[in-house]
Amino acid sequence: MHDYVLGQPEPPRTRLGVRFGVFGLVIVLVVGLLATRLFYLQVVQGGYYAGLAEENRNAMQPLRSTRGLVYDRAGRPLAINVPSYVVLVRPADLPFSERDAVVSRLSTLLDINGPDIIEAIDRYASQRFELVRIASDIPSDVARIIVEESRSLPGVEVSIEDRREYEYGPLVSHILGYTGPVTAEDLAELADAGYLNDDQIGKTGVEGRFEDVLRGSYGQQQVERDASGRVVRTVQILQQPEAGDSLELTIDVEIQREAEEALQWATEIVNLQRGVVIVMNPQTGEVLAMVSLPTYDDNVFARGITNDEYQALIDDPNRPLVNFALSEQYPPGSTYKLVTGTGALMDGIITPSTQLETAPYLEIGTYKYPEWNRRGFGPLDIYGGFSRSSDTFFYQLAGSLGADRLAYWANQFGFGQRTGIDLPAEARGIVPTDEWKQDVFGQDVYPGEVYHAGIGQGYDAATPLQVLNAYSALANGGWLYEPQIVRRVLAADGSVVQDFQPKLLHTLDVDPDVLRVMRVAAREVVTSRHTFNLVDLPLVVAGKTGTAEFGLRDAQGRLPFHSWFVAFVPKFTADQQGDPAKTDSELAIVAFAYSSNTKGNAATEIVKYFLQQHYDLGVDLTRPDLLQKGNFYGGN
Amino acid sequence: MTAMRVERVAGRGLVARPESGSWQSFDIQLAFCALALAVIGLLMAWTNSPEGPLSPGSTFTRGLMWFALAIVAFSAVAAFDYRWLRTLPWLVYLVNIGLLLLTLAIGITINGAQRWVSLAGLTFQFSEISKVIMIAVLAAFLEARKDSLGKLSTLIGAGLLVAPPFVLVMIQPDLGTALVLVAILAGALFLSGASLRWMGVAAGTVVATLPVIWSVLQDYQRRRLLSFLDPTSDPQGAGYQVIQAQIAVGSGGFFGKGLTNGTQGASAFLPVQSTDFALAVLLEELGFVGGIVVFLLFVGLIWRVLLIGWRSDTIFGIAFAGGTAAMLIFQVLVNAGMIAGMMPVTGIPLPFITHGGASLISTAIALGLMQSISMRAARPPW
Repeated sequence: MHDYVLGQPEPPRTRLGVRFGVFGLVIVLVVGLLATRLFYLQVVQGGYYAGLAEENRNAMQPLRSTRGLVYDRAGRPLAINVPSYVVLVRPADLPFSERDAVVSRLSTLLDINGPDIIEAIDRYASQRFELVRIASDIPSDVARIIVEESRSLPGVEVSIEDRREYEYGPLVSHILGYTGPVTAEDLAELADAGYLNDDQIGKTGVEGRFEDVLRGSYGQQQVERDASGRVVRTVQILQQPEAGDSLELTIDVEIQREAEEALQWATEIVNLQRGVVIVMNPQTGEVLAMVSLPTYDDNVFARGITNDEYQALIDDPNRPLVNFALSEQYPPGSTYKLVTGTGALMDGIITPSTQLETAPYLEIGTYKYPEWNRRGFGPLDIYGGFSRSSDTFFYQLAGSLGADRLAYWANQFGFGQRTGIDLPAEARGIVPTDEWKQDVFGQDVYPGEVYHAGIGQGYDAATPLQVLNAYSALANGGWLYEPQIVRRVLAADGSVVQDFQPKLLHTLDVDPDVLRVMRVAAREVVTSRHTFNLVDLPLVVAGKTGTAEFGLRDAQGRLPFHSWFVAFVPKFTADQQGDPAKTDSELAIVAFAYSSNTKGNAATEIVKYFLQQHYDLGVDLTRPDLLQKGNFYGGN
Repeated sequence: MTAMRVERVAGRGLVARPESGSWQSFDIQLAFCALALAVIGLLMAWTNSPEGPLSPGSTFTRGLMWFALAIVAFSAVAAFDYRWLRTLPWLVYLVNIGLLLLTLAIGITINGAQRWVSLAGLTFQFSEISKVIMIAVLAAFLEARKDSLGKLSTLIGAGLLVAPPFVLVMIQPDLGTALVLVAILAGALFLSGASLRWMGVAAGTVVATLPVIWSVLQDYQRRRLLSFLDPTSDPQGAGYQVIQAQIAVGSGGFFGKGLTNGTQGASAFLPVQSTDFALAVLLEELGFVGGIVVFLLFVGLIWRVLLIGWRSDTIFGIAFAGGTAAMLIFQVLVNAGMIAGMMPVTGIPLPFITHGGASLISTAIALGLMQSISMRAARPPW
């Protein structure tokens, strides 16, 4: 029993006092913890978050420019922009709970795998407010369905974008090239140039080489965004976009088509796997046609190539994506005798009238270097040696010149260096010299290898474009031009921004008379019926065949071979035949048939077919009976 | 002069008790803290009224109306003798259950949760009122069992009382408010002297059943919890709010951007800035300094609540203070913790600052009752 004293209340029960204290302590701890966290966020990290808040609201948005177009020399559009529907998703607007339903619906509508869509949505996880491209170039009816279902497809947007369309498809694919999405590696280099995550960039062909001209420059605007990342308003346009300039090519689509038809025709008759035809104006170096088969369609890339489609192109053993006109090098074979003959005449080893004995073979030590017909031709001068393509004749010239002089004259004609054409991925070719062989094999060129080098075999390697350019210099009297693929750069309003003049690489260090001798000799190649019934064309055409062995011998000891024919057509009128002695040719052409293995020279047939179509000669040497007399079958 | 009655109180001896409540015992400091917080809440309503604070139906004008109603509720409850509550707790409890059932029956569904009831054009969350009712019911229950507070049966009884409203709130579903009910239960039991051992056992049981609770959580609730662990895992959903809230808070800096100068709330980067994320806007605009002022006011308020409980001579008063203080500190912890990125997004309002009529009225009633307790506490009789 306690005594209670009025006015002196007992202290509350100690047990509860402790509890009040503990409770108070908890409150102080909780608030202290929160205050510490706030101090960290607001004072320690305040600057960092202030930056984020600013970014949140104010964003720089690129204004895309219109890509320049590509025309042929007659103004026919080759590459244009067409509006196309693209499907975009803003991940931030797609609630997680509806994601599966939306992805499944899009998958059905767009015929894309669901996991691919999810992967695209999640690709830039840190940029949830940036639009992600799900599909490009979708049909308009699908676009309409998506717009109509927008209520049940949150975050999905349909937008109209320019897409590249290549009007002639596979016909000019190698020349134009295609655009594709920038890769992460591209971006690392190009981010400063204003390229964006989902940008397209020219990958190959003129699309690649003239990327900076075609692209124009992107503009920039400052926009204010709301929470969902939508642009609320444009604050200001800091820079207007500038449309890209257009290109006018030297290519004439009509000539391109004739060249393609000629090659295609031969391909079907003798089952070629690969081939090239290039047509050039030898007076300027302008390339009028450049066909490489097999080809592919740039439009497949423009529409957004699938992995399967791309893999099929990569896996094709005949490599349709490669432009064989300039990206691969092959032994030039007898077309190279131009170099050997010119060099021998210039270095005084022979004169135009010097006769050399030809033989079934030449010997160096125990090695035999055979004549191609295994019999020899008796004594020949340069005209006879060139027109019959006598190997033993040119072995002797090459042996007298030696590797380095031979290389000097090869370089004069542009072999062993890139022509400098405005297309990417050009091969350099090989002209063997002692120095080159020391570098590569640690030895000098053997005498026998000099023989081979003199007839375009052995280490010699050249692109079809190099061979054509060498003969163009022969045809025009000694001017080696840089082959030209783009004539002019045009502004959007059609005005000329840049006019590419023929670019002279150098004039050949060759006496014009010597070149005249070689041109006349080239005409004799045709008139001597070395090229069989090509001479029956009502047209003065001069040229040189080449049969270039490569690879491994078959059971009969024969090597597979490519066939070449490179030709030029001296200027002619209705009254006046062309004269190969003159330097006025306006057309030069090379045909290259990879591993043709026909009895005669397949490339000559291709050129023949081209010439009779191109000049509308009114004869058809490809009629079945006449075809038997042609080069495929080695004539009669 | 208020009429006093001298009586004998166990443990305190003879005391004097005001006959009908003494306005001299009105706790000025508590009222000041509450008023200051409510005014700050009004300031935030002002700044969060992008359509113009004075336009009809704006957050501010609605806030002003609720403010007036809260003053009335506070004063009325303070004048009301809390001891009457002890006589009709069951009636109050049944009203509470009825309101929650009504919410489930006719409630409006917003963001997948049926929490709101539309009353004369205003939406009202009865679960907010439920919190203060449960404090009173629990206090009355504990008062009735003041002689066996340490027994397990008291704990079980209190738990059974809280269970029905807890379940009804979870069904809405409103995890946040349900957790507040648990906090109230814990606070009231702890301060009134319940057995710590049994409370520990109960807490252990709850932890052990967490996996079960996880399995019954709504999908969005799970995502919220997960997104708290890694905000970038669901940046457009709950994680988005957390990230944006942290940007708002962080960019406020020491002194803030100034009232109405915030960019995060104004351009709606905080999609629910007018509700549970109001504190983020406050911290953006008033900075660290503003945040500390708000925290200090809450500490002062809870201090006064505890002090009134301490001075109270009844278990009802102590338990009521415990429940109220637990409710306040729990909501501050969860709401501010959420905004500072320390707690998951659970949708718990911050008293006074969050613009919600029910929350303000509920808090006003609780504090009014605290005043009523203060004004009727036994003191030395001179």
